[in-house]
Amino acid sequence: MAKYILESAGNINWMALFALITFMTVFLLVVFMVFMDNKAFIKKMENLPLDTEDDMPTSFSKHS
Amino acid sequence: MANMETFYYDNKIVRNFAIATIAFGVIGMLVGILIAFQLVFPVLNFDTSFLTYGRLRPLHTNAVIFAFVGNGIFTGVYYSLQRLLKTRMYSDLLSSLHFWGWQLIILSAAVSLPLGLTSSKEYAELIWPIDLAIAVVWIIFGINMFMTIIKRREQHLYVAIWFYIATWVTVTVLHVFNNLQIPVSFFHATNVFAGVQDALIQWWYGHNAVAFFLTTPYLGLMYYFMPKAANRPVYSYKLSIIHFWALIFIYIWAGPHHLLYTSLPDWAQSLGTVFSIMLIAPSWGGMLNGLLTLRGVWDKVRVDPVLKFFVVAVTAYGMATLEGPLLSVKSLNAITHYTDWTVGHVHIGALGWNGMLTFGMLYWLFPRLFNTPLYSVKLANYHFWIGTLGILFYAIPLYWAGWTQSLMWKQFSPDGFLVYGNFLETVTQILPMYRIRAIGGSIYYVGFLIMVYNLWKTAAAGKLIANQEASSPPREENAVHTGEYWHKWIERKPIQMLVVSAVLILIGGIVEIIPMLMIDNNIPKIASVKPYTPLELEGRDIYIREGCVGCHSQMVRPFRSETERYGDYSKSGEFIYDRPFLWGSKRTGPDLHRVGGKYSDSWHYNHMWDPESMAAGTIMPRYPWLFENDLSTKYTAAKIKNLQMLNTPYPDNYADKAVSDLEAQAKKVAANLEKDNIKMEGLEKKEIVALIAYLQRLGTDIKVESSEVIKK
Repeated sequence: MAKYILESAGNINWMALFALITFMTVFLLVVFMVFMDNKAFIKKMENLPLDTEDDMPTSFSKHS
Repeated sequence: MANMETFYYDNKIVRNFAIATIAFGVIGMLVGILIAFQLVFPVLNFDTSFLTYGRLRPLHTNAVIFAFVGNGIFTGVYYSLQRLLKTRMYSDLLSSLHFWGWQLIILSAAVSLPLGLTSSKEYAELIWPIDLAIAVVWIIFGINMFMTIIKRREQHLYVAIWFYIATWVTVTVLHVFNNLQIPVSFFHATNVFAGVQDALIQWWYGHNAVAFFLTTPYLGLMYYFMPKAANRPVYSYKLSIIHFWALIFIYIWAGPHHLLYTSLPDWAQSLGTVFSIMLIAPSWGGMLNGLLTLRGVWDKVRVDPVLKFFVVAVTAYGMATLEGPLLSVKSLNAITHYTDWTVGHVHIGALGWNGMLTFGMLYWLFPRLFNTPLYSVKLANYHFWIGTLGILFYAIPLYWAGWTQSLMWKQFSPDGFLVYGNFLETVTQILPMYRIRAIGGSIYYVGFLIMVYNLWKTAAAGKLIANQEASSPPREENAVHTGEYWHKWIERKPIQMLVVSAVLILIGGIVEIIPMLMIDNNIPKIASVKPYTPLELEGRDIYIREGCVGCHSQMVRPFRSETERYGDYSKSGEFIYDRPFLWGSKRTGPDLHRVGGKYSDSWHYNHMWDPESMAAGTIMPRYPWLFENDLSTKYTAAKIKNLQMLNTPYPDNYADKAVSDLEAQAKKVAANLEKDNIKMEGLEKKEIVALIAYLQRLGTDIKVESSEVIKK
């Protein structure tokens, strides 16, 4: 399948290769970065939206 | 904590955008219901130009995408950005300009599109003055957002903000390139790109409008509001980072999957397919990240309507992002393209992902903005079930209709003839499905109206907290960050984030598009293909004005079922004078690329006057105004001059004699009609004559002799 697609790209194989290589580079870089992050930092980041003081002290009504 | 600063969040701007979201949702979806019923009952076109399907369809798509979803994005962004950055928006004036500017753009679209003022490019139909206004307002939004980020109190940018930044930068790039035009008048412009290039740029835009207007900002909202509603952090922050970078990098390449089997070069089609399939990974990564955020709190989903809406929204996102790549596989695309399957697919996205996420967000926001409990949780639950049911009743019939019709198009008898040679047979077959779809849309709409009532009562019971007090320590301006990886460095720097996102999305755009712009190398020229005559050009502009492209493609794909039905398959060299291209993306009626010479002039005349008279049972509307309106030749010369500027080979000074040539050709068409006993006062001056001239020209350039490729 991959071979067929690359072949059908004619004389612009470089384009498919360029796309593949840049994507893999970016992807691996991101994965590497992500796994180098320390746990405390990730914990802080993931809790950023959860500051409840940001919102009004409201809960859903139970009446209907 | 020492050194706390007190400040106020601007809730008024959030409320304003929320109201606009709701108001334009009411209008945009109502237009959608009307056009859905028009397909079943053509009488609902009311023989009125500004109410016909062709003109209202772009109104519906624009209203839902840019008015409903657009305002939904701004609602969520203005709420979450302030809180994630611990600061008020940078400028209340810019917020206000953004709000009113955007609403004015929507209103001008609501007027101009029914009037037939359109550039005909899907989801970018608005005329050039409105395009400019969009650019200005978008830049105002950008300045406001980036300045807010710069004056923030929170050091790091949460992943939702990355999605907002990528959205802003990509939409800017897309909007500029897809709307490059040379104005002819205030309402009309000549497209800079032609034919195949225009098609590629349009679908690079069109696909990424879905990606960076309907998807990335909403993913940002998902990453903010879903943890909020579930009151727990996102399942995996690491996954959200990978989701972000992979998604924005891959999405930008996938546009050509809208043009499979067309005259677009094979390599571009293949790139589109490969990247579309790769998209499954980040999309599903994001979907799972959203759903798994609810791990351990599924009991809350049972009682909290907000979470219910979010679950269906994210599930619909997952379904649509699996379906999209599958539809990009050539063998499946050969069946589904041009059919209602595509319409069903986009509505899983629009009704499911965008709609349900917006509803959930609004139900969550209103009680907080107005500091009062939601008026009725019960009604919100009713809305949820009615809306979900509406989606199913909308999408399933269209999948059925698309599949059925496509198989009918391709059905050959044992003798080798098309079983359903008459296109209309394949339309009447699926009308029951159109009926159910219209009902499905209406069901969804009822749910929406219930929400409007519920939120109205909520707002009335409470009072807007226009300026909400908050406090936070200031940001450490010159903090030392030793030993940290540069990932965190990017996260702290919005401008770097902007630049890196821009580079990533530009890589895809440049590699894919620049080679296509090398026109001479990529588009084989065909000697017999000539520019349109002035009359045909004006006829083409009427075709554009009436939105014919919404139902008729002009692209015969290289399948036997299509060449048997329509004629020779379309060659890229045939479109080099098409500004804009009119390939279309849906066949509610037959393809028209080879319609030239297929019928007599009088057939077209009668057909446009009353389609029923030539094809009993057709759902095409009547166009009586084409027989009343005199053709305007005011801008004919200017159009020719613009085309010459873009290297269309008209003779020197041709603009001076364009109108006289036009009148001469119009007389010929009128004489032809008179031969068939069609008599009418001033016939040669009517718009219908120009339209007939254009239709009769379509695809005829290479009909006479076999295509002679003079230059590879």
